[in-house]
Amino acid sequence: MKELPQYTEDQRDCLQEIVNVAMGQAGDSLARLLEVFVTLSVPKIQTLSPSEVRVALRSFVDSEYVSAIRQSFHDSKGQDGLRGEALVVYGDSSFKELAELLAYDDEELSEGLEQELLLDISNVLNGACLNGIAEQLGEELVYSPPSILGQHVPVEKLFQQDQMRWEMALSVEINYSLEQRSFNCDLLLLMPDTAIDYLANKLDEILEDD
Amino acid sequence: MPQISPELLKHSVESLDIGVFILNKDMEVQLWNQFMSTNSGLPSTAVVGKNLLELFPELPQRWFKKKIEGVFILKNRSFTAWKQRPYLFQFNHNRPVTGGVENMYQNCTFIPLKDSAGEVELVCITIQDVTDEGISQKMLEGTMHRLEESSRTDGLTQLLNRSYWELCLARECKRSVRYKSKTSLVMFDLDHFKAINDNYGHLAGDEVLREVSEAIRLTIRDTDIAGRYGGEEFGVVATDTDLVGVKLLAERLRKSIEELDVHYEDQSIPVTVSLGVAEYDESFSSHESLIKLADEALYYSKEHGRNRWASYPLDE
Repeated sequence: MKELPQYTEDQRDCLQEIVNVAMGQAGDSLARLLEVFVTLSVPKIQTLSPSEVRVALRSFVDSEYVSAIRQSFHDSKGQDGLRGEALVVYGDSSFKELAELLAYDDEELSEGLEQELLLDISNVLNGACLNGIAEQLGEELVYSPPSILGQHVPVEKLFQQDQMRWEMALSVEINYSLEQRSFNCDLLLLMPDTAIDYLANKLDEILEDD
Repeated sequence: MPQISPELLKHSVESLDIGVFILNKDMEVQLWNQFMSTNSGLPSTAVVGKNLLELFPELPQRWFKKKIEGVFILKNRSFTAWKQRPYLFQFNHNRPVTGGVENMYQNCTFIPLKDSAGEVELVCITIQDVTDEGISQKMLEGTMHRLEESSRTDGLTQLLNRSYWELCLARECKRSVRYKSKTSLVMFDLDHFKAINDNYGHLAGDEVLREVSEAIRLTIRDTDIAGRYGGEEFGVVATDTDLVGVKLLAERLRKSIEELDVHYEDQSIPVTVSLGVAEYDESFSSHESLIKLADEALYYSKEHGRNRWASYPLDE
């Protein structure tokens, strides 16, 4: 795991600043929607190889079994622009207290409903933090529907190594927790290969404007 | 590039084969396309300007409001998928003949519509009919389930096959150590099965195995796990059962098989079994030790008259 060796110090600072601002906004809008105070960690930005993704996941999820949701995002340029996938990883705690926040508590939390709640909360978290980043970059992101990577499985079982056919990805890692609730989860934004270069150019444009 | 007129654009939205409608912040319908009219039975004139939740009181109101609120606050798309929530609106599907399901399965997307100032005052909701996908997925799941069952089952007797049964036994042994409960085992073998095959033929032998298996199924309790261990050898894992309990089970099995009236081509075939029982102890290295001890008791029964059970340790 490297601290973005591809980027200059200016580029790194600029990106960190953009992400920090976006997280502030995300925290605000999440608090408005969920009506509860949301704490976000300082985002950790680095580059990861596929094998390091697993190590990273294991290091920040303090639970033998996890559930994880993935969601794709891309800007209007599609293949050549800002694109990647967001992974949201939940420790195997109870999701019951989450149900009330998104009004999923009118009926018994069945397996299907728990899945939908996970998908929904992941979509909300991803949107809240990615839209803030995209806005500052002058981009608008499009999201695919989120899908389930694994439910109540060991971290190792979340994906096969050969599912990740890329060399290096820019990774933004954020931890979310909710005030007075035991719930917390980790969000990993991964933007592989060409997105790293694309973002470097984008950061230069912003730095020139300053 | 030729300019597309607003009329043409409106016509396109109208004729899409997905449902499209638009809501404002007060949940009032602003647009309702042909797909929505056809499937809901409510024409756009009856819907536009009205509150959606009043028009469709069966929608999960609190949840729906929160969902829409999220789109407005976060200016972010939101989704529902048929796998978790089969439908938003209770529409009929278009497979009245071959459907086999009640309603149209739907994937829905909630899209924030930004005005020129970047503000979101409207939400567009699209509804995709995914009934076909739902039906094939259900069929696939059914097939997978049957495949899994058949890979665990012995074809002739419909009891668990040896490999899956042993897996269950191993799991129960581990569980009993963890929860300090008792697991016991009955192993048994048909008496003189070779003679049955020789005298009545192999088809008669198969019939005996089938009827014995049915008797086992009827005799054991819901929590017992029966499997075909070998040619004419069977095993029953008795969960949460000590040696005293498993002896009673062995006697019930012996009796119900002895009382069987197996007929093959007008001939009555007498059938008995010899049984051995043992209880798992956490000092054992694995479940295989338990099988070995129950087997020893089984051979003791064979050598001491058959149609009887014996328990390990043998000097009891």
